[in-house]
Amino acid sequence: MSGALSAPIANYVALSGILFFLGVTGVLLRRNPLIMLMSIELMFNAANLLLVAFARLWTQNVGQIFAFLSITVAAAEAAIGLAIVVVVFRSARHVDVDETNLMKG
Amino acid sequence: MILFWILSILLIATAVWTITASKPVYSVVGLLAHFVALAVLYLSLSAEFLAVMQIIVYSGAILVLFVFVIALLSSGVAPFSVGPNRLPKALVPVMGIVIIAFGMLIYAVSRTSMPAPTGQTLGPVGSAGVFGSVADFGRALFTTQLLPFEVTAFILMVAVIGVVLLAGDAMESSGSAAQAKQVHREMREAILREGDR
Amino acid sequence: MVHHVMGVPGFYPWLLALWLLPLLGAIVCFAFGPQLRRVAGAFASAIVGASFLFAVICWGVGTQTVGGALGAHQVLFSWLPGFDFGLLLDPLSLVWALVITGVGCLIHIYSIGYLEGDRAFARFFAYMNFFIFAMLTLVLSDNFVGLLVGWALVGLASYFLIGYWFDRPSAVAAARKAFVINVVGDVGIMFAIILIYSRIGSLSFGDVFANVDKLGTATLLAVLVCLFLGAAAKSAQVPLHTWLPDAMEGPTPVSALIHAATMVTAGVYLIARCAPLWSASKDAQLLVGTIGGLTALLGAVLGMVQWDIKRILAYSTMSQIGYMIMGVGIGAYEGGVAHFLTQAFFKAQLFLGAGLIIHALSNEQDVRRMGGLAKKMPFAFWAMLTAVLAISGIPGFSGFFSKDLIIYGTLANGHPWLYAVGILTAGITAYYMFRLFFITFFGTYRGDVDPSSLGIRHPELAGVASAHADAEHLHMSGWVMNVPVAILMVPTVFSGWLLFGGTHSPWARFFVSQFAQIRLPAAPISEGLTSVLTFVLVLAGITVAYLRYATPSAQRNAVERLRRETVGMPPVLSNAFYFDAALDALFVRTSQWLGYLAARYVDPLVIDGGVREVVISTQWLGALARAFQSGLVRAYAVLLVAGAACFIAYYALAGGAR
Repeated sequence: MSGALSAPIANYVALSGILFFLGVTGVLLRRNPLIMLMSIELMFNAANLLLVAFARLWTQNVGQIFAFLSITVAAAEAAIGLAIVVVVFRSARHVDVDETNLMKG
Repeated sequence: MILFWILSILLIATAVWTITASKPVYSVVGLLAHFVALAVLYLSLSAEFLAVMQIIVYSGAILVLFVFVIALLSSGVAPFSVGPNRLPKALVPVMGIVIIAFGMLIYAVSRTSMPAPTGQTLGPVGSAGVFGSVADFGRALFTTQLLPFEVTAFILMVAVIGVVLLAGDAMESSGSAAQAKQVHREMREAILREGDR
Repeated sequence: MVHHVMGVPGFYPWLLALWLLPLLGAIVCFAFGPQLRRVAGAFASAIVGASFLFAVICWGVGTQTVGGALGAHQVLFSWLPGFDFGLLLDPLSLVWALVITGVGCLIHIYSIGYLEGDRAFARFFAYMNFFIFAMLTLVLSDNFVGLLVGWALVGLASYFLIGYWFDRPSAVAAARKAFVINVVGDVGIMFAIILIYSRIGSLSFGDVFANVDKLGTATLLAVLVCLFLGAAAKSAQVPLHTWLPDAMEGPTPVSALIHAATMVTAGVYLIARCAPLWSASKDAQLLVGTIGGLTALLGAVLGMVQWDIKRILAYSTMSQIGYMIMGVGIGAYEGGVAHFLTQAFFKAQLFLGAGLIIHALSNEQDVRRMGGLAKKMPFAFWAMLTAVLAISGIPGFSGFFSKDLIIYGTLANGHPWLYAVGILTAGITAYYMFRLFFITFFGTYRGDVDPSSLGIRHPELAGVASAHADAEHLHMSGWVMNVPVAILMVPTVFSGWLLFGGTHSPWARFFVSQFAQIRLPAAPISEGLTSVLTFVLVLAGITVAYLRYATPSAQRNAVERLRRETVGMPPVLSNAFYFDAALDALFVRTSQWLGYLAARYVDPLVIDGGVREVVISTQWLGALARAFQSGLVRAYAVLLVAGAACFIAYYALAGGAR
């Protein structure tokens, strides 16, 4: 593990973009809140990948520190998101996001 | 280079599997494979600590949480889609715009000239004092990057409090909860009456 | 700018007390009316009496001269640069303050008897005290804004008091008319103030008078015309006089105090106060003198043909004020102010005497239904006789001196036409006052005669009381009403002697510092000859009145004579030269038309329409926003991502272009 990157940085960026796009698609198309949350995790990971790749490119570990922070945020987000799902299930006996529309104006 | 391509294909495939799986449990399995592949990619980018964190936090903690929730919700009837798809048709072109935008992003990235690598030589994985090593990362975390580390702790604390408040039992506030329900019902009726005018 | 202080600055507690005491009285009478009941009259009279006493005490400081400053100047507070509010007491305002409080006190006492048994006894005295305070504010202010405040407050007090019997529609209409016309004048003064402030940057009298030359000829004329608009409205000058006869709807003491003795002379005060301004503009002097002369003549002519005793006196007031305005307008300030003083006495006495008659005859005001009252009411007879002699200008009585001073002043200042008008009006005045006197007191009592045989077609419209008094059981007044009239008789007869002696008279010496810079030049005709000319015409007027109404045969045929005169009255005279109709057509109709336009188009389309448009567009925006608030998490997500995609697209395109 020495020297330059094993692939051009553009490849990493493109990969990250595709993964992020897949995450977005999951959030928009699925109605199951659990899969939506997982899609959000996909997006987090895509962002992390980019951070790590650029940290490696410039050999600056700030990028890795930030990715670490991002993983923490993802964990917190998952915990709170799942808690919300559980609360919604308790009161509505279902978790269909299309049926959960108390905010409708 | 070959490793990158293999991992790329694996990552995309597992991501597609995750978002298209018919049952959440399948998605979890896809996501697990995705995380593992990503951890390997991190290792290839000299991020040893993050690779390990990826396995421990994501695969070990978050996915287990998902599985618990799936088990909790699926104990009775499957509650994931009880009504029709209510997404307005008007949003379909919006999604088209989103796809085009991302396509442009990927296109633009592939055309962008990235800054050249510094060419700094790196030591072998695992040795201390080298970029990417656990020791190097840990030293940075406790010296120069202490603030992000503390922020991390704070975020986790907030998350814990939030989850307890949301999903924990409303024990001592049960009396006022009934009261709040009464107030809520009255407000609701008042709003409906206003609407009738 | 030359800063100039009028009056010696200092602290004058008596002056403050003189000014504020009536306000206190008004507040107490208003707040504790039900508790005070009958005492309110005595209390209010005592307040004004005390105020008069303080005015006398202030005589010394009011006439002092220290280093070129005349009178007393009490600084109260500073509001804006160029506007310090304070009180100024100099000989001019001292004369007014003494008359306001002195005559005011007598009329307050008289009112106790006149309004005996009225429902809102205390309210009346609250208004009267408030009027005294407002009038004192007007004459004691040391700047134009304070003057305007007093000016508007006396208008308000006048409104309250004309409409005192607010259950009479005619009283309410008269009050409204008086108020509206007076506000026209207020606006005129406000414009004058704006003009003065824009050019001089100060509003205190001293600063303005010291910087007259800064105004420029045209602006000065504009300022003076604006000021005269105010004076004309308040002092019932042509063509803004129509409110004064209507204002007689108020109680008679009110007519005596406000609409004869004090408030209506505020215009005279304003012109005399601004003498340095007026002396600087010949054009303005000519305008004011002409209007004053016209008003004097017109008032006298209309006074000849009235039947309501109070309306006769109202037109006579208008005519006398015309004299004063003519006097101060052409520069005969001492004469104008002197006529104010004597008129305040004899006109108050005339009104109070008329009040005695009206009171005795149970609110009968039509002179055709009086007659033969000399034997029944000897006190009223003598009171009216002295006042009539005074107003007619019989030598020795007060009106003679002051009126001649004005008439002589017109000629001395080079206005022969006004001189002729003055002398002619003096003759007419003598005629109509003696006409009133003869009809009322001579012959036989006609209260029990059928109104139609006197030519009165619509008794209820002609101010004829429905229940006429029994000639044998008149409602005679007590000492409360008689004593003030008796006291007033003294100055009515003798106050003119203050003017005797030309430049060495007490009056001239009193004002020697006030109007020092304005000395009348000698006239081509001597003062003595003027007096003789006037007196001849006055005698002629009295003779005509005697021949028409008081010869034995005329007394016998009084009913038939009055009927013929009533029926044969030319419409142009019975309609007072159509001034009301003209003002109505010019201003009231126009305003009504504008109001109609506003109500028909502006209000529904612009005002309401604007509000409606706001409502409609708000609803539309709300509906638009509501469409986005679908409650669908995924719809929100789509919009969020679309927004992000727009940013991404922008940077991708911008990056690609680079």
